[in-house]
Amino acid sequence: MNKEISITINGEVYQQSVPIRMLLVDFIRDIAGLTGTHVACTYEGVCGACTIHVDGEAVKSCLMLAVQADRRTITTIEGLAIHGKLHPLQKAFNDHHALQCGFCSAGILMNMAEFIRTNRKPTEAEIRNALVGNLCRCTGYAHIVDAIKEVVGDAGSTGAVHQ
Amino acid sequence: MYPAIIENYDAPTSVHDALQALAKRGNESYFVAGGQSLMQAIKARVISPKSLIDLQHVTELKGIEYNKGAVRIGAMTRYRDIAADERLDGAYQALRDAARHVGDRQVRNRGTIGGSLCWNYIAACMPPTCIGIGASLDLVSRAGRRSLLAEAFLQGPLETARRDDEIVVAVTLPAAPMMCGSAYKKWGLVNDALPVVGVCASVELGDDRRCRVARLAIGGLATGPRRAEAGEKALIGVSATDASAISNAAETAAASTETQSDIWADAEYRKKLIETLAREVIATAFARAERGKHS
Amino acid sequence: MNHVAKQPGWVGRQFNRKEDHRLTTGKGQYFADIVVPGMLHLVFVRSKHAHARIKRIDISAAKAIPGVVAVVTGEDIRGAIKSLPQPVVVPALPARYPTFWPLAVDKVKFNGEPVVAVVARDKYVAEDAADAVEIEYEPLPYVGNMEDALMPGSPVVHDGWENNEMFALTFTGGATPDSQATNDAEVDHLITSADIVVKSRYRVHRCGVTPLEPRGALATWDDADGMVAWITTQRPHIDRLAMSDVLDIPTEKLRVIAPRDQGGAFGVKAPFYREPILVCYMARKLGRPVRWLETREEHLMSVSQERDQIHDLEIGATKEGRIVALRDRGLADNGDGCEGVYWGYLMPFLGAALLPNAYDLPKCDIKIRVACTNKAVLSPARSFGAYPTRFAVERAIDRLAHRLNKDPADVRRLNLIASLPYVTATGVHYDSGDFLKVWDYLIKTIDLPKFRAEQREAWQRGHYIGVGFGVGAELSGVASSVLVPMENQPGYGAATVRLDPRGKVQVFEGDAPAGQGHESSMAQVVAQEFGIHPNDVTVTHGDTSTTPFGSGTIGARAGSYTMSAIAMACRVLKKKIARVMAHDLKLEADPDDFVFVDGNIIFTKSNNVRKTFREVVERIIMAPLNLPSGETGGLEYTAFFEADAPMICFSAHAAFVEVDANSGQIKLTRYVTSEDVGTVINPQIVEAQVQGGVVQGISNCLFEQFIYDDNGQQLTSTFENYKLATAADVPSVEVHHEAGTPCPHTPLGSRGLGEGIPGPVPGALTNAVCDALKPFGIEIDELPLRPDRVWRALKEANRPAAAE
Repeated sequence: MNKEISITINGEVYQQSVPIRMLLVDFIRDIAGLTGTHVACTYEGVCGACTIHVDGEAVKSCLMLAVQADRRTITTIEGLAIHGKLHPLQKAFNDHHALQCGFCSAGILMNMAEFIRTNRKPTEAEIRNALVGNLCRCTGYAHIVDAIKEVVGDAGSTGAVHQ
Repeated sequence: MYPAIIENYDAPTSVHDALQALAKRGNESYFVAGGQSLMQAIKARVISPKSLIDLQHVTELKGIEYNKGAVRIGAMTRYRDIAADERLDGAYQALRDAARHVGDRQVRNRGTIGGSLCWNYIAACMPPTCIGIGASLDLVSRAGRRSLLAEAFLQGPLETARRDDEIVVAVTLPAAPMMCGSAYKKWGLVNDALPVVGVCASVELGDDRRCRVARLAIGGLATGPRRAEAGEKALIGVSATDASAISNAAETAAASTETQSDIWADAEYRKKLIETLAREVIATAFARAERGKHS
Repeated sequence: MNHVAKQPGWVGRQFNRKEDHRLTTGKGQYFADIVVPGMLHLVFVRSKHAHARIKRIDISAAKAIPGVVAVVTGEDIRGAIKSLPQPVVVPALPARYPTFWPLAVDKVKFNGEPVVAVVARDKYVAEDAADAVEIEYEPLPYVGNMEDALMPGSPVVHDGWENNEMFALTFTGGATPDSQATNDAEVDHLITSADIVVKSRYRVHRCGVTPLEPRGALATWDDADGMVAWITTQRPHIDRLAMSDVLDIPTEKLRVIAPRDQGGAFGVKAPFYREPILVCYMARKLGRPVRWLETREEHLMSVSQERDQIHDLEIGATKEGRIVALRDRGLADNGDGCEGVYWGYLMPFLGAALLPNAYDLPKCDIKIRVACTNKAVLSPARSFGAYPTRFAVERAIDRLAHRLNKDPADVRRLNLIASLPYVTATGVHYDSGDFLKVWDYLIKTIDLPKFRAEQREAWQRGHYIGVGFGVGAELSGVASSVLVPMENQPGYGAATVRLDPRGKVQVFEGDAPAGQGHESSMAQVVAQEFGIHPNDVTVTHGDTSTTPFGSGTIGARAGSYTMSAIAMACRVLKKKIARVMAHDLKLEADPDDFVFVDGNIIFTKSNNVRKTFREVVERIIMAPLNLPSGETGGLEYTAFFEADAPMICFSAHAAFVEVDANSGQIKLTRYVTSEDVGTVINPQIVEAQVQGGVVQGISNCLFEQFIYDDNGQQLTSTFENYKLATAADVPSVEVHHEAGTPCPHTPLGSRGLGEGIPGPVPGALTNAVCDALKPFGIEIDELPLRPDRVWRALKEANRPAAAE
């Protein structure tokens, strides 16, 4: 019923015995105390507010059990800025007013942080399509898309990508 | 919201160990592949597995191999990787069409072709696509191996021919003839939603550039994914430029498919959707076949 | 697109939000992030039936599960918790108010009504225990259709009621039956004798604006200090009063806190709901902290359902297209009607009051009836009741235009109110604005003649493109004169502005934002007033212990009322500062002779005479000697702002679509708005409000629908089935507010704009589709606007016309 696991989150190792049924998002929020990752749907896993990186790839942490992340490396929103230096997306979101209530923002930032790393010059349609797994109720998405466009514009021209 | 108590969790690293775990845990255990569908069911307590056998570390189940044109896709290959594999273009490009639009990119980072086929949910893309391109599944148990055509494997909704002691290890495709093309498209209310209806078309052209073999498969049906044989027949002898014959085949496919009504579309509009999608994917399949790309 | 006012200071200037840093680095403080040591988890068992008597509840298996602390049923609490209605949450309107407790008593009235509450030490265990509760029901007939519900002989939802009519009102023709009868007869005559009459039934489905963050309540109790309750609410001060009354907790021992960060609200978090009552009750009963965190499924089953109205609307018009009279019979499906403050019916009430919209319609006969059914009660949603009434009128105008073979844009303009102030036939006061200017700006921006030429050419090619319009004269805050009768609550904006000896400012206000950026925009207002930087200003909100009474973040109050109170308080303090400065410098001066800019206070008659803001402030607070006679030390002021009259903001929308005539698929290609928001405080925030509000309107119109089956089972309680628009489904909105006029009734000239934005959207979208398909003569009067509906309409149109 319980299993001893070891998960690295934002560079820190968490070793814990947890119920097998514990969701990864609950491990992150309740055990590691990192509440930046949010839960906004029940079991359907549609909203994307729980998006984190597992070994650098964006996944929904509500659709995984904590035991499935044993010996794996997780990055949450709290780990996106490195040594206090904001990720270009975090800065662009502020400049473009790409968040209102902010509840969806962590999930979007984590998803897009991977997306822009693997898609150097996306079109607006590709950006919007990449955002399908993140529901936002407040912004209508327009400023989010603007913020991402600015960052990929920069990434495309200089070739430098943060993280 | 939260799963019921799960007693055991195994994370084997080989098919052999996975089968061993299966034997040990018995039939109240579930394999978990990408978990994008299974976890929904577990959290909703629609199923309450006593044991979970997690296949994510079984490397021999991952990857796409090519051998003289024949394709072998490990059951644990993710949508993301299928979507990116250009070698599938032409004959088996429907797989890429489908894989690119499942769910969203987070789902595609975890979800697998094997998981989708074993779950065989009504609103899924891999089942009709695999039927449409004539794929087979390799199943392994401690007793041996067998291979089944996708359309024999996939039965009614949430039902497959997999026995309790078997693991699906791969999806296989034969080396395709020179001029063969396939395409898949779905319709849902919002972008990339679970398909209300999904249609896969695969055509093989003869030297005369007319259709010699056609396959049409429909997903989103209460019966489970089905071939539309009447529509397939209507494509024999048709050429890519014959828009009206393609349209006719699409209409025939729609008319001959038993559809259901639900909150997304009634039975009649479902037929309209099948017709519209079929017209498009047939035309695309023809175009891809004409390009004659090897798989 | 962004109109940034070219004026010095902070109002009208882009200012990156202060909230963003914490919200983009995972440091937000939302409800679910609040942890109190030892807190217990409460889970509800909700009714599986739409309408049933509760025969038996067996909680023994649930209680036996280790870790379960308590299990309570309706019978347990009916003697211990006062039922609603209680006066503080009852409007001063003539409706029938159903009696209810936080848990079902005797029977359940909708699929999802809370029946049992389980409290456990672990949230997973709480769910195990909830599953173990056994309830035996005796099903009753399902009342699921609002028209049938109002027929004689219908099964009745509420025991003791003789029918299902919860509310009915006539909105026109004065206050007496006689005056109304006279008015009705006059309207009838005008319609029957009009050149042209357009009559249709317009129907908007059940949908709403569900926020991404679900609800929650966490309460602690101490026998000496009383209760602290964190609630995801837009109205902490109101909740505090209501909770005090219902649970008999003296108000001085009750503190309600709306979390600093909330993940959207849009009206859904405004009512006084069942669940927080039970949470607070259990915390006091157990003497331990109790927390309920709603799941999305619970949420979609029990709240966020709005719209759902039918309007039989007739307009009579001249052959030029000028409407001479309007008659409306509206119906609303209010579910079980059990909801504090709003009772579900206030939305259709306000929607009917706002039905005339921005059109000059002096002769109207408007009546509505609101029915109870076995569904969840309507909860407020952005646009508050007016989404369906806007749809009805906008569609009627386009139908009129089609009948007259005129451009709907021209017919619309002909009927827009040409001069303000204006009082509608329903008695709603529109204070100011220039609707024609805003409208003309829209038409110019979209270059309508050019589009019409493109459209004609496209039709030749069998390509169907169209444009549709909608307008909205929307509430800008809610005056006491409206809010007191409507909700028994005041409308004034209130704020405390406190200066400190370092020249920094703290603002305290009692509302509870959920994404509107008030910490930043309010800081901009203060910074502008005092000539300091917004980073020197902090805003505390939502805590009833530390903020002045506020009615809450509703109806776009912040931009209109609360900001105004802040500005007023600043100006009172500025006068005092100026008086003291003049006195200290022995100047013959009025307060108006000083400007506050760039951290300095400068005497306008001689620029060399100046002091820093900080030194004067410090002097008044810390060294209050030799002050002008009558003055005391200290610099803190609480201001209350009440507008002279109810205020509005106005917007005009244009939607462009492409329709596939074969399959009915709709593609939204462009969406443009022209807004009058008065003085813009933060341009990005204004634009973002429009982007978000329009997309909510689009999502409602095209994708979202709450569906109950024939047995009252709610089929749309996950995001898989209740579909919200994704980024790939919508365009960016082109937002223009160049044609606005400052509001003469607020200190800043600002208007609140957030509330009504979705209202014009369904009319604009549906009109666009009908416009695109004009060669087929399609008219669509029912939502949702789905491809299959369009396809069916096209099939009908292609049939030979039936004999008239």
